[in-house]
Formats: sequence, structure tokens, C-alpha cells
Amino acid sequence: MKTDPHKAPQGESIGTTIVLTMVMAVTTVVMFSQGKMPQDPKELIALALTILFANTIFFLLIYTGRTDRYRAIYFSTFAVALVISFISHMFEVRGSMSLSEAKVFQCEVPFCHLVIPMTLVPVALTKTIIFPGSLIGGYASIASMFVIWIGATLAFGRGFCSWGCFYGGLDDGFSRVLKRPVIKNINPKWIYLPFAVLLFVVLTAAAYLSPVYCSWLCPFKAVTEFKAVTSTTVLIQTIIFVSLFIGLVIVLPILTKKRTQCAFFCPFGAMQSVTNKINAFDVRIDKEKCLKCKRCIQVCPTLSMNEESLEQGRTRITCMKCGKCIDNCPKGAIGYHIKGTDIPGKRNVYRLLFLFSAFLFLAIFSSHIIEDGIMRILKLITTGSMI
Amino acid sequence: MKGFFLGLSNGATCVAYCTPVLIPYMLGEGKNIARNYIALTQFLLGRLAGYLVFAFIAWLINLSILDRLGSKGFLIGVLYIVFSCLLMIYAFFRTDVPCAAQSIDRIARKIKVPLLIPTLAGLLSGIALCPPFLLAMTGAAAEGNLSYSLFFFFMFFIGTSIFFIPIPFVGALRRIQALQIIGKMASGIVGLYYLYAGIIAVIEGVRGI
Ligand code: SF4
Ligand code: SF4
Repeated sequence: MKTDPHKAPQGESIGTTIVLTMVMAVTTVVMFSQGKMPQDPKELIALALTILFANTIFFLLIYTGRTDRYRAIYFSTFAVALVISFISHMFEVRGSMSLSEAKVFQCEVPFCHLVIPMTLVPVALTKTIIFPGSLIGGYASIASMFVIWIGATLAFGRGFCSWGCFYGGLDDGFSRVLKRPVIKNINPKWIYLPFAVLLFVVLTAAAYLSPVYCSWLCPFKAVTEFKAVTSTTVLIQTIIFVSLFIGLVIVLPILTKKRTQCAFFCPFGAMQSVTNKINAFDVRIDKEKCLKCKRCIQVCPTLSMNEESLEQGRTRITCMKCGKCIDNCPKGAIGYHIKGTDIPGKRNVYRLLFLFSAFLFLAIFSSHIIEDGIMRILKLITTGSMI
Repeated sequence: MKGFFLGLSNGATCVAYCTPVLIPYMLGEGKNIARNYIALTQFLLGRLAGYLVFAFIAWLINLSILDRLGSKGFLIGVLYIVFSCLLMIYAFFRTDVPCAAQSIDRIARKIKVPLLIPTLAGLLSGIALCPPFLLAMTGAAAEGNLSYSLFFFFMFFIGTSIFFIPIPFVGALRRIQALQIIGKMASGIVGLYYLYAGIIAVIEGVRGI
């Protein structure tokens, strides 16, 4: 293990990396294949490519010591694969991306984690889930999403937004298009907007027993599913979500190099920020090593580092544990940390523990989606159609 | 329900701006939590009285002006649009500007009869013309019956009051500035809803003319 106190963190030796990658490889082969090899050659190729891709990324994460660079490649691929897989699936079963009233009544709307904050108060008050999805079974059931969310939240808190969310890779990816930001000065007050959106959607969901964010504000409907336009209200809703998608997920991330949807709008992200308080991992700064160059403040895609937090040697509550500040610190002063232990302590061990669990979660959560995404692309190449 | 909802979304802002008045008073008095609750109750009753006065005024406005106009829906729509835009500017771009209630509360603090301070501060904060309040007033005036108007403001009061309950445990509200900004932004999002309601009312009003 190479540890030089005056340099940015190095990766592990080739021996350690190979051993760790072997463990990851065995786990991913078992988990991704679920013990059986597909008969269809296209499916087999897709499975093999998914396993190879995940383990190559894991190898690079460990060997190079760079966290954010390789995480982002995998994370954005996950998001793109979701879009391909989801849209193809919708065309397969419904013939279009739009939802009819009948499907809503039949409770056949796939459940996504962004709805969770809106369901909690109504569940407590009325014992009903205010979402027209299926409780168990189906494409994305409510029960499976809740189980995944609770597990990931306890393990990583808001780390979910960089290591789990299947939409996050979109604005993360677009935020890397330009080398330098066109818009540089963003008022830090905007990091409070997701909390305001959270307050609003939780209260309206409780008052009207309806997931208001999904109906009115969610930008990701533009790349998943949406209501068929049959009235002026639905037309206005459509204009809103398309504009939010173009603005918050594409244009602003490119211009600012920040994850504008996740950092300045998403109510689920705000709720996850609060859960940052109740899990073992955080990101800490070794104040002895810090040069006060403020590079970390500049690069953080969520404005989770400011002068005050730097002074305290910690990030703000909104940190997504993406690792960008860690990769960019010239002194290697920033690192993953286990709460209650010394700083810097055994920082390489903390990093390995965090990376192993976070990446394993990401790999398992994304495996079927990435595999299906590859399958659809192979289908497109061989048959000219994704469905 | 609309009044309650508007009050709820605006409550965090109200609490954020009223606590600088209430907390020093409570701390200054150095009383226990039970006494703090008494002061809070006095404050809230004063606030309720202020709201009910406005409910009455909203009803009078409806009776004297709106009912005489042929295109009431159109006018209400325009008022919604104007006040919701004001609310959004105040919420998103003037986060540093204190709400109208704060300056009025300063007057209340000058009054030297201790028992009356919280009640008066409440009354004056209840009649402050801040944008969410103006929206509430338009909402109440739109219906044009006194009991609805009183009920609307009562629900607005209940909605905002929920946020005041933890105040006597002063220590828990350390992050008051963050709360102020979040509360203001939440009321700005409510402004978006009223903007939508205003546009729809104007469209329907134009169709009706
Ligand atoms: S990047 Fe941040 S933590 Fe690293 S030396 Fe500069 S100011 Fe300190
Ligand atoms: S503080 Fe560091 S780890 Fe946290 S979100 Fe910002 S760049 Fe990522």
C-alpha cells in the first residue's frame, strides 16, 4: 500500500488490486447471472460485457486511486442504459412512452425512488401508498424499491445519489461535457431549493394524497414515461417537465459543470442529505495537510464544500460522496472516513471499505439494466429494432 | 384546504421571521418551557385576531367591489398572477429581505406592558402585507361569503401555526437562517401554483367575456 503524506492518494499495488478485483468478479458473476447462464447468444454476450465492464471499472478505481473519474463512467452508463431499457420496455408492453388513464387505474406505473418522500406521510396517516404502482412483482415494484432504498440509505446516506440513483448519471454526465464552466458564480442559496421542493411536495402529498412532484415537476418523465396529452392541464405539465429536463439535466449542467438537477432541485436528494447523518461513512479533510487552495470548493458538483466547512474539516450535509474533491485535492488531504475513527487514520482502508460496498451496490443494482441496455443495442444492430 | 395548504407552505417562513422576535423575548424573560408556551399562545392568539380582521376585510372587498364586476374570475386571475409573481421574486431573488412582519414587530417590542407584548407582536405580524398573505387574501375574497373567508384565514392560521409548536424548545432552532431561506423558497413554489391558477382563471375569464 503506497502512502506518502505529501501527495494526492495513490492507488493500491497491482497485487492487492488483482485480489480485490477477483473477489468482486466472483461476486458479480454470481449475482448478475443468478446462477444460470442464458441460452440466447445475444443475452450471453450482454451478460459477459456487463460483468467485464463492471470489473474493469472496479480494477481502475482500486489501482489508480481515482474515485470520481471511473465512478462517473459507470454511473452515466447506468443512466443511459436505463433510458434505453425503459423506453424499449414501454414500447414493448404499451406501444408508446405515454401512460393511459387505464394503466394508471390498473396500478401498472413503475415505481421510482423519487416518489418515496411523498409516500411517507400519507402511509402514516392513511395506510395507503399514493402511487398507482404494483406493491410486489412487475417491472419496478413499490416493495422492492423501498427495500433497496432503506438498505442503501443506511449504508451510504446521500451517497445513493452518486452510487445508486439511476437518473443521477444523466446530469453527472452532462456536467463533464465542457472542460471549463461557462457560468462560474452560482449563488450558494440554491442548495436550499431542494429542501423547499421537499417541503412543498411532502405537504401537498399529505394534503391532496397525490404525488404532486410526479405529476407536475419530475424532469425525468421526458426520458421514461408520461401521461398522454388529453387536456390543457396535461399539456402544461408536459411543457413543464420537458423544460425542466432540458434546463436542469442538460443545459445547466453543461454550462455550470454542476449537477444542477440533483444539487438544486431534487427533493429525494434533499431527503437523502438528512440521512447523511445516520450512516457510517463521510468525507473528511485532514486540516494538517490542507493548503487552503480551495480546489475542492471549485470542483464540487453540488456546492457541498465551502470555506466554513473546509475550516471545520468536513463537507456540508448535501455531500453525495462522489469523490470528485478527493480526486482533485493536490495534497491528498480529503478522503472517505468512517465516523468515530481518527483523521486521517487508516484512510486507504476506509476508502477500500467504502468503495467495495458502494461499488458492489451500484453494480448489482444496475446489472440488469446495463445488461438489458446492451441487449437492446445488440438487437438494434442485428435486427434494426430495439424491441 | 387551500388556506391550510398556503399557510403550511408559508409557515416555515413565518416561523423563521417571527422567532427573532419571540425567542429573545422568551430568553429575556428566562422562564421555563411552560411559560414559553403561554407566551407563544398569546402570540398566536394575537396573530389569529389579525388574520380574522383580514378575513372580514376580504369579504367586504368582495361585497363592495368584486361582486359588482362582470368578470370577477378574470380580475381574481390577474390578482393571482401579480401576487404570485411578487411572491416568487420575494422568495427566490430577495431571500435577504426580511418579511414585512419583522419591521412591524419592532414596534410591538417598544410597548412596555409585558403581558401585551406577545399578543401585540402576534396581532401586528398577523396583519403584515407580505406576498403570501396577499395571495391568501385574494383566495378568501374570491369566494365572497363571510364564513368562507373566516374559515380560509382560520385554516391559513392553523397551517402557519403548526411550525410554531417547537419554538419553546429554543435550542433546536439553531439553523434559523437556512430555515428562513427554505421557508421562503417553499412559499415561492406555492407562488408557482397560484401563477398557474391565475393563468387558468384569466383564460376562463377571457372566454367568458
Ligand atoms: S483541495 Fe481543498 S482540501 Fe485539498 S488542499 Fe486544496 S483547499 Fe485543502
Ligand atoms: S464534497 Fe466532495 S464527495 Fe461530497 S459531493 Fe462535493 S465533490 Fe463529491
